[in-house]
Amino acid sequence: MTVFLQNLVNALQWGSFYALIAIGYSMVYSILMLFNFAHGDVFMTGAYIGCGIAMLLLGLGAAGLLVLPGWLVLGLTILLAMIVTAGLGMFIERVGYRPLREAPRASAAITGLMIGIILETGNLILLGAQRVKFPALIQPVTFELGGVFLTNQKIMIVVVALGLALALHQFIRRTRWGMAMRAMAFDYAVVPLMGVPINRIAALTFALGSGLAAAAGILFGMAYPVLDPYMGIVFGWKSFVAAILGGRGSILGATLAGFLLGFIEIFVAMVFPSTLRDFIAYSIILLILVFRPYGLFGEPYSVRLRL
Amino acid sequence: MKNVRLCTVLFAVLVAVLGLALFPAAAQKTPVLKIGINAEITGDIPKVGEATKYAAQMYVEDVNKAGGIEVGGKKYRLELAIEDNEAKAESAAKAATKLITVDEVIAIVGPQASKQAVPAGEVCNNYKTPMVSAWSTNPNTTKDRPYVFRACFLDDFQGPALSIFASQEYRFKKAAVLYDVASDYPKGLAEFFKKDWEKRNGPGSVVAYESFTTKDTDFSSQLTKIINSGAEFLFTPQYYNEVPLIVQQAKQLGWKKPILGSDSWASDELVKLCGKDCFGHFFVSHYASAGAKGATKEFIDRYKAKYGSIPDDVAALTWDAIGLIGAAIRNAGKLTGDVKKDREAVRNALAQTKDYPGITGTISFPPGSGDPIKCANIVKINDKGEFEFYKSVCP
Amino acid sequence: MEPHLHRPSGALGGGRRDRAADFARGVPLLGWLFGALLAVLLESFFGRDLADFLDLPRVPVLFGFEYALNKPRLIPGTLAFLFLVYALPLLLGARLLRGPANRIARLLAARAPGVALLLHLAFLYGILHLWTEVSDYRLIVAKITLIAVMLTLSLNVVNGFMGEFSCSHPGFMALGAYAGSLVTIVGFTNSAMFGAALLPPALGPVFFPLALLLGGAVAAVGALAVAIPSFRTRGDYLAIISLAFTFIVKSLIENLEIVGGPRGLRGQPDWANLPVVFVCTVICVAMINQFVRSIYGLGLNAVRDNEMAAEAMTINTRRTKMVAFLFAAFWAGVAGVLFAHVLRYVNPGTFGLQQLAEVLAMMYFGGLNSVVGSIVGAVSINLLSEMLRPLEIWKWIFIPLLLILVMIFRPTGLIAFREFDPLAWIAPRDGNGSRERRENSGEGK
Repeated sequence: MTVFLQNLVNALQWGSFYALIAIGYSMVYSILMLFNFAHGDVFMTGAYIGCGIAMLLLGLGAAGLLVLPGWLVLGLTILLAMIVTAGLGMFIERVGYRPLREAPRASAAITGLMIGIILETGNLILLGAQRVKFPALIQPVTFELGGVFLTNQKIMIVVVALGLALALHQFIRRTRWGMAMRAMAFDYAVVPLMGVPINRIAALTFALGSGLAAAAGILFGMAYPVLDPYMGIVFGWKSFVAAILGGRGSILGATLAGFLLGFIEIFVAMVFPSTLRDFIAYSIILLILVFRPYGLFGEPYSVRLRL
Repeated sequence: MKNVRLCTVLFAVLVAVLGLALFPAAAQKTPVLKIGINAEITGDIPKVGEATKYAAQMYVEDVNKAGGIEVGGKKYRLELAIEDNEAKAESAAKAATKLITVDEVIAIVGPQASKQAVPAGEVCNNYKTPMVSAWSTNPNTTKDRPYVFRACFLDDFQGPALSIFASQEYRFKKAAVLYDVASDYPKGLAEFFKKDWEKRNGPGSVVAYESFTTKDTDFSSQLTKIINSGAEFLFTPQYYNEVPLIVQQAKQLGWKKPILGSDSWASDELVKLCGKDCFGHFFVSHYASAGAKGATKEFIDRYKAKYGSIPDDVAALTWDAIGLIGAAIRNAGKLTGDVKKDREAVRNALAQTKDYPGITGTISFPPGSGDPIKCANIVKINDKGEFEFYKSVCP
Repeated sequence: MEPHLHRPSGALGGGRRDRAADFARGVPLLGWLFGALLAVLLESFFGRDLADFLDLPRVPVLFGFEYALNKPRLIPGTLAFLFLVYALPLLLGARLLRGPANRIARLLAARAPGVALLLHLAFLYGILHLWTEVSDYRLIVAKITLIAVMLTLSLNVVNGFMGEFSCSHPGFMALGAYAGSLVTIVGFTNSAMFGAALLPPALGPVFFPLALLLGGAVAAVGALAVAIPSFRTRGDYLAIISLAFTFIVKSLIENLEIVGGPRGLRGQPDWANLPVVFVCTVICVAMINQFVRSIYGLGLNAVRDNEMAAEAMTINTRRTKMVAFLFAAFWAGVAGVLFAHVLRYVNPGTFGLQQLAEVLAMMYFGGLNSVVGSIVGAVSINLLSEMLRPLEIWKWIFIPLLLILVMIFRPTGLIAFREFDPLAWIAPRDGNGSRERRENSGEGK
């Protein structure tokens, strides 16, 4: 039982990352109907930007110029990195996706892949092949609850991830911008005719998605403090699986599917020999899709959503 | 009419281009020997490629500063031909072919990772070009290939060495193993360790044998299993970039027992990335950077001064790999200028290497094999985060 | 279907263009092949001497890029070499021999179009053979490029013609590579892993086609795992099904100790030489071209454009999808077998996300729905990534930028939606520069 609970905790943390990244995928994909394959690398860049900002703030603190407590540094880091990365996301949208809005969706997928490669290689050129350590902003404290080990980081990660997902959900449900986004997701062709500024919505979508990716990157850096330029690739593709598994256009679906993917990966390794983890985990995903061909919360495909 | 005009134009272009081509004066001809570098500069493991490149460049600069390498009474300048194999098997084969047939190198260092080294070794062996992989531990790399060598020790030595250490030093009976199933180096090592450990302590004495996949960062599920298995220590033959994650997560999940590692831990980045959590653990290494003496210390200091970081195992092994080639060139007797004959001579000299004083240990190649015989050092990460020599295990 | 060198004169105006068009007027494909043959002959006989004369260390291997980017001093010599050895013989040969070339082309086109095609292919092979004979580096580049052509083309069947976004190609390739390797290693070599050869190695080359077929067949069987779910879903959901398939295949092979697990499988016999790879590629191009131009191929396009309407038009969409997936997987599998035998080593790590990104890039760069596009895409990306080696790491900034630009200015790829009619390509040209058989050179849609 404690093993199960321990793994439950582990899976919650692991799923948080998938969920946060999958939300970004899902938003772009439901509103603009694009695969944003650069998203995994935006996550990577966000983590590096966050790392840079955190080091800067800590450096200021060490120099005695601006001494802040750890949690404030963390908060500031997340906020600033989200803003910067959101800018990066908007830039990517402007350069790589806007010119391709009328093109087949797969073409945009290729520009996404290529932007990803440029981000990776650029990072390698700028920072060299040295891996970067993410600074510890809050001291990890381990506590034991009936045989289950928890850390303050784990709790924080899950709380922040859920909080951000919830905030985004509220934003999309409650605000006019959110309404415009939902409308675009509903009908991409007609809504712009009703006076919804498509370019601004697209930019906003990318900004929000990239911001969340940056937050995920920093949380990732807290939990697994080794950053390398290629860390976004596997994350990107797996979150892509989660985003689509959740169903088209569903923030809730993407969040749940992200957690689900985390749970599957962790619990498969718990029950079966861990060498077979990928084999079994992705067979389960395949089976889910055989029986629910449109994802967990998706609607059947209509003609206008062709690739 | 048109044809005539066209021909005039073509002729004029020809004359102009030929004139330009013949203009530059012939460069002075100092005899040059080229050594190829086939490294993973982009792709999954850029750090490996970078360390390879740096160590090789430093070696070549040294040799050239001393006036070149002397063979049969004649001095040769060394030159590097560096190719990136993008961490892809087919690209490594292409790069090896290019180095051999286009750049006409006398010998090749790398590729380092086995995924690239095995196909590149095939190419080098077919073209009878000596190749030394510094880092590849896959038996396939050198097996039945008289022209392919390696500078590191093999899994079937390192695994048992650790097993001996753990049972003699601590009298442990129950071991746990955590390794990357998709990467052949950790997997090979884990298997050899398990085999030897069970031979010593009876079947079932490896109480947890857990794995993950390359690029995974979360090991909580596997570690939870390991912690509940009652193992007395954990052996994890992972790379230094993964070790901090494993060690820290283990600690956060309540693990307090020792953790043992392999030579892939040996990098100053380990301590930089891991911090205090890694202090007190042991690993096998080719060399220990703290308290190193003689040539090893000199190498470490100069590398650090030049590139700003303490060399990791790849850099140290590459230094030895290219050093082996350099020594073989010196011992080749006389170079003919015919690259094919020279390669043959270098390969013969390389195969006869005996007691080469490398910085990662004394290297000899047994007859008919490209796998070196060398000793392993058990290294402890001390309380200052330095790698301290603890004990030596020889085959 | 206009190869870019022979545009009808006046189509674009401009004096220089006109002159180029004048020059190319009336030269059939055979004429260009004559010219190219002349060029490679010249290179193989006099290349070395000429390079010496021009003060080049050796014959420029891939069009002199290794010098242009590394040693500017050698640029003029390289240009002179390229001009003398490639441009001049190609242009003059094509021009001077256009009469006989046209006569031969006309004779054969009328009597035996099949023979004409074979003749062209023979010439093409001869050119490739002579070109690769100069340097073994060219040989391995050519082999890998031809394999990439097969992969890209087979991916185009699913992703271009049928309009799905399948990510399963590395998986198909892995299945083929391992199945084919097992046949040849177990059957014809004395390996440490599988013991002595079951059959005399001398029989091997006879059985190699069987290994290729088996590799393709295993990949096709594996493709059922993607094809059957494709009946009920498509687009993005199919994309992740196929992605999961790739993960599953890779993980499965890593866990199969019998085929070496992550250590890989080594020791494939050296049977994938240039003629074999060339013939396989030609058969692949021919079959896929026949397939996509057949009624099935039109069915694929119908499924892509509107599945429901296609169903209403009595197209059996299930069968169409099934056939397309199995066919594409078959050729990816064959390409996998060849890949394994060119490198003589396979490893599950090779068939991962990197491979996927590469083949997707080649296919979309070349062009959707187009056989020529896939050939152009695979060849250009492969050659480019070899030629730009001297740029080292900057190569991976340059190539992605180029691809982004191509996608922005030609969103469907370089040569998209073109039908490939080989007979129109090899047709003789009359004096006005137009082809004598124009009716087949459809412009697609």
